[in-house]
Amino acid sequence: MRGFLAGFLLELRVVRANPDALIPLLTAPLFAIIFLAIVRQSGRSDLEPDALLAPVLMSLWWIALVQAGSMITADRWQAVLEPVIAAPTSLASVLVGRIACLMSVGLLSFFEVWLAGWLIFGVSIPFEHPLELALTLVATALAMAGTAVAFAALFVMTRNAYTFINSASFPFYVLGGVLVPVAYLPDWIEPVSSLLFLSWSADLLRATLKEPAVDDFWSRLAMVLVLGAITFAIGRAVLFHVLRRMRAKGELATA
Amino acid sequence: MAATLNVMRHAFHAGLADYRAIFTWRSWLAGWYVRVLFQVGFFALIGERLGDDDKTYYLLVGNSMLIAGQLGVFSLNMTTAERWAGTLPLLVASPSSPVLVFSARGAYLAVDGALSALAALFVAGPIFGMDLPWPRVLAVIPVTLVIAAASYAFGTFLAGVVFRFRSVNSLVVVTTYVALMAACGVNVPLSYYPEPVELLSRVLPLTNGLLAIRDAFAGAPAAEIVGNTALEAAVALGWMIAALLSFNRLASRGRRDGSLDYGA
Repeated sequence: MRGFLAGFLLELRVVRANPDALIPLLTAPLFAIIFLAIVRQSGRSDLEPDALLAPVLMSLWWIALVQAGSMITADRWQAVLEPVIAAPTSLASVLVGRIACLMSVGLLSFFEVWLAGWLIFGVSIPFEHPLELALTLVATALAMAGTAVAFAALFVMTRNAYTFINSASFPFYVLGGVLVPVAYLPDWIEPVSSLLFLSWSADLLRATLKEPAVDDFWSRLAMVLVLGAITFAIGRAVLFHVLRRMRAKGELATA
Repeated sequence: MAATLNVMRHAFHAGLADYRAIFTWRSWLAGWYVRVLFQVGFFALIGERLGDDDKTYYLLVGNSMLIAGQLGVFSLNMTTAERWAGTLPLLVASPSSPVLVFSARGAYLAVDGALSALAALFVAGPIFGMDLPWPRVLAVIPVTLVIAAASYAFGTFLAGVVFRFRSVNSLVVVTTYVALMAACGVNVPLSYYPEPVELLSRVLPLTNGLLAIRDAFAGAPAAEIVGNTALEAAVALGWMIAALLSFNRLASRGRRDGSLDYGA
């Protein structure tokens, strides 16, 4: 727990010192304005809640991919990975604490899009099922954190993480159905999408904003958490293996 | 003049070498181009969800051309790259103007931007059932090149502005391209914006060129297409002049207060 807290507080300082960490908080309201403009100009006010929540998912994904995902690689470049691993506190607890901090920052985008929609278009998030909405957001942030660990493992292994980071945003926004439900994609893509927690999160978030009761809420929420946990477990196992190999070969400090 | 062109030629080749180190043809296609297609597809799918084919094509064309603008703005990253490489103080200390080097070194981004935008339009268009009227559609190619050049000039100007504030470089890059997406008639017509935003968008890259491209698809008279393309070219020229006028002054400020070095 101490490692978790230390990681959380460390990342807060990193965020304060690094303006790049604010990118998703600046782009989320802009994307909300863009999506709202599209649906309103087309006379589809029924899609306004979806237009408001999509940027929140995009912000969390960006943070998991870019900031949390490249955390270990950045530590390695800055030559702090060795002392972190040599310290008695486990790397996992510090890492999870740091990612939790980033996800907490990312969740601020929810309030930003709410404010942007209200200030510019007079549109608010309809809190039809507030408890379900809050639980889904928290479950999504947890699953994102799990995914970030998998990204961290992947980026440590690859020489050119930049190419992947640059390419893995919009493909997942489409496959995850963050704004347009997966049902609009070709049939053969749907099985792939159903393996992504993002598609379950997006569907569930949309459902919590509609008036009718949310069908199968708990099982769908569990699916988000289970898929996030599976991604986390795979990422953690790979990261453990990669770091052990690096320690054995003396490659921790080399790029 | 010969010396200037020589500097620009070498800078362009250095940029190409950088790019080759980042992308191979395979990683460009399987990485960057896949992202580009999905980015355009993401917005076209919104049109599908709205149940309006015209809106789908509107979003598809706008967001394809945005790719040219987006890559032009990426030229902002040049200064940060030089800083990481430790060559920024050397460039500023050299007898050539840094703006010459930056404008040429990142020029491959304008080429890549135009290529990516056209490749997105000509592949995503048919996927979503959009008609590409032959031979009118050929007019899109030169206009896209002008959009890419205007965006690149704009990016070079911004590079001069953030020269001394490189910690916000990525922030400015991403926010600028999303702002272009919001303000330049990419997703909704200019008439949808409040008048001040509409006026501002006309001096930003992409807006006028995109109008020319929409004209070409709509079968508008050639004079209208040429007029909007000329406006886009004027915007390109304006931003390049602004870059030339401001860049050296901003760089010399950094020289005076020692903020150009890696650790600064």
